[in-house]
Amino acid sequence: MKPYLKKIYDWVDERVELQDLVNFMAKKYVPVHRHSIWYYFGGVSLFLFVIQVITGILLLMYYKGSEELAFESIQFIMSKVAFGWLIRSIHSWTANLFIFTTLVHMFSVFFERAYRKPREITWLSGMMMFFLLLGFGFTGYLLPWNELAFFATKVGTEITGAVPVIGKPILEFMRGGDNVTGATLSRLFGFHVAVLPGIFTILLGTHLILVQRQGMSEPHEFKNKPHAEQKTMPFFPNFILRDLTLWLIVLNLLAILAVFFPWELGKKADPFASAPAGIKPEWYFLFMFQSLKYIPAKVFVIDGEVLGILLFGAAGLLWMLVPFWDYKSSRGEQSRFVTYIGLFVVMYIILFTILGWLA
Amino acid sequence: MKRKLFYLGLFCTVIFLPAQSLLADDQCISCHTNTVGDKQSELFKHDIHFKKGISCADCHGGNSKLEDMDAAMNPKEGFIGVPKGDNISKTCAHCHADPEKMKKYGSSLPTNQWESLQSSVHGKLSTTGKEHITQCVTCHDSHGIVSVKNSASPVFPLNVVKTCTKCHANASFMQTYNPAMPVDQLDKYRTSVHGVRNRNGDPKPAQCASCHGSHDIRGIKDVKSSVYATNIPTTCSKCHSNAEYMKQYKIPTDQYEKFARSEHGKALLQKHDVGAPACNDCHGNHGATPPGVESVSKVCGTCHALNADLFSSSPHKKAFDERKLPECETCHSNHEIVAATDKLLGVGSEAVCSRCHQTNQNVKGYAVAKTMRSLIDSLEFMEQNAEMLVNESEQRGMEISEAKFKLRDVRQARLQSRTMVHSFNEQKFHDVVGKGMTAASIVQGEAQASIDEYYFRRKGLGVATLIITIFTISLYLYIRRLERKQNKKVI
Repeated sequence: MKPYLKKIYDWVDERVELQDLVNFMAKKYVPVHRHSIWYYFGGVSLFLFVIQVITGILLLMYYKGSEELAFESIQFIMSKVAFGWLIRSIHSWTANLFIFTTLVHMFSVFFERAYRKPREITWLSGMMMFFLLLGFGFTGYLLPWNELAFFATKVGTEITGAVPVIGKPILEFMRGGDNVTGATLSRLFGFHVAVLPGIFTILLGTHLILVQRQGMSEPHEFKNKPHAEQKTMPFFPNFILRDLTLWLIVLNLLAILAVFFPWELGKKADPFASAPAGIKPEWYFLFMFQSLKYIPAKVFVIDGEVLGILLFGAAGLLWMLVPFWDYKSSRGEQSRFVTYIGLFVVMYIILFTILGWLA
Repeated sequence: MKRKLFYLGLFCTVIFLPAQSLLADDQCISCHTNTVGDKQSELFKHDIHFKKGISCADCHGGNSKLEDMDAAMNPKEGFIGVPKGDNISKTCAHCHADPEKMKKYGSSLPTNQWESLQSSVHGKLSTTGKEHITQCVTCHDSHGIVSVKNSASPVFPLNVVKTCTKCHANASFMQTYNPAMPVDQLDKYRTSVHGVRNRNGDPKPAQCASCHGSHDIRGIKDVKSSVYATNIPTTCSKCHSNAEYMKQYKIPTDQYEKFARSEHGKALLQKHDVGAPACNDCHGNHGATPPGVESVSKVCGTCHALNADLFSSSPHKKAFDERKLPECETCHSNHEIVAATDKLLGVGSEAVCSRCHQTNQNVKGYAVAKTMRSLIDSLEFMEQNAEMLVNESEQRGMEISEAKFKLRDVRQARLQSRTMVHSFNEQKFHDVVGKGMTAASIVQGEAQASIDEYYFRRKGLGVATLIITIFTISLYLYIRRLERKQNKKVI
């Protein structure tokens, strides 16, 4: 280390005991095996979160969260603000990539059984963050106040309203009334920039501390290998540098997407206009939306839509609680049943997303 | 001579014998004529129905053969007395809606009148709510009905106007059904060419039924009405396109063809734009008459108000008046009005200005026309260029909505300049075109800047990608070197 850098380091170390952290990171090792690639998706998701925070703050400088000015302010950002188009496009593309990488991260953790004891809380915090992420997507989608966003929010909130007992109060709470109006925009804006980020940051902090504290999860077969064959790499700097390389590639990918496929703004929402034909939610909600279409209007005495929502709710809850019912994995045994469930869920999501896309 | 007298006697016997014989057998007529002496029975003797052998009992019921009045007019004999309300029309329809019966009487009349009347505007319920507004007898009378071709008939072409206006000129009566409906149709009609000729005894010009129909009259807002906006040209052309029918009036019969080819005709007949003018919008409806030379601009000006105002205050007004030229029509024609494109302006072969303004004749106007055309062409070129740049920018995915919105100002200025042509004032025209050119320049500038920005983004991406790639490769090489060192240490 160069003398002047050493001086700065020492100055900080004297006050916050930085060396302890460096020592901790230097001792931390990441297992190297044929599934190591999946470890990087957590880091990429974190990187995308940081991008979202930065671009979101920049957008906040010009965005106006009201019915009259929301659309125009985005228009202004896209056409008049220096690099406004880039910031907005990156924010929108990152939102989608973020959900995608988080999905991949979640499924990789699921198939690797990384949720098993002692990482139940890490899994739970991750799952809660994933649901919050969907909330970010839903609340952020309305903010440009364009035609597509308006009607997608209308349909989305209507589906929420179909939930028995609590559905109607939630719908009114989300909309700020009976209909999607400027009040809805204000509420969702508040959730998007204040409530959700606040909760998300706490969960993310917990998640990261737990990951650092417990280290990377190792697959069953890795543990069973002789000690000499258990390959590892130092978390710092090897893994961090690899992470950084991947982040740079993702950053470049985002720039390419923003330049070649700038996020469109569409037409300003008109509450009195009829909904455009073939309106669909964002791709990450598409499999649920498409599934609801296939459920008959009435199943025995239950409303088809209500049944669908309850089933998805129950499935989500079961998924979240997997560390508590997958005893085999917790005991360190192979659990084919859980693998089959995971495969079924992955195939179901892919199939219904494609069907929804083609519909 | 004797032979002629014989045939005349035979003819009279054949024609009048059934009626005379009926008169002798029909106790209703006999009693009502000789004993009661009422007006109805007297009128009925001249009625076409009486002549066809139809008796009083055929409408009123009862037994016309019985001499005893009480027996003949006994309800047991089917006597119904004077039919009331819808029963009047139903009584008529009993025969007139039955083709077999009508055929028996040798009639070729249509048999759908009752059906048509019911679906017509007159077939609505009256204010009493118990019957239709109009019954057959409202127009045709009850006793003494004669053929429609008979000049005594209330529905003979010369009498139709009087028959219709019994109600339609009665303000207090019409108010009970349609307070918004004018009741001055008759007054207007009498001022029209149709009305004047009708009053002079010519049955051919249009009267109420010619345009509105007879039994199947519908409200003017009903698309099935013969006087609904899009149907008016066809209704007028029934007579006005019939060369044989119009022969004696010595007026052209190609108006419909010309109108159908015109901008007005295309809008009305092809696009079904009911705001576009039909025949009556220029000629009037009940007071239909060709607009005179003086009033053409006033007629056109009802819609093209600004153009008419500008023309009235232009130097052309005086020039046209002196030469007795119809104002708008001189340049734009009348029935066959073509789209007023910029080609009409200037001194080229298609330009109308050059008809009067030449290099050696009305020279000042020639120069103004030439300048105006040059200016409007320049504006059009600039607008096209601006639009092309905006489209190009939009196709490249750039946010250009503001410039696109401003493009409307250019179009607006071009439309205004077309109107301003009618002032024939070069300075005023230049001012309007100038505004358009300024707006077009701004749009062009913004669109071009947007396209430049598009390329800048790509170049920027190229540079960013290069830097990121260098970083990535450097990192990769650094990791390799680092791990090689670490491996050596382990070994």
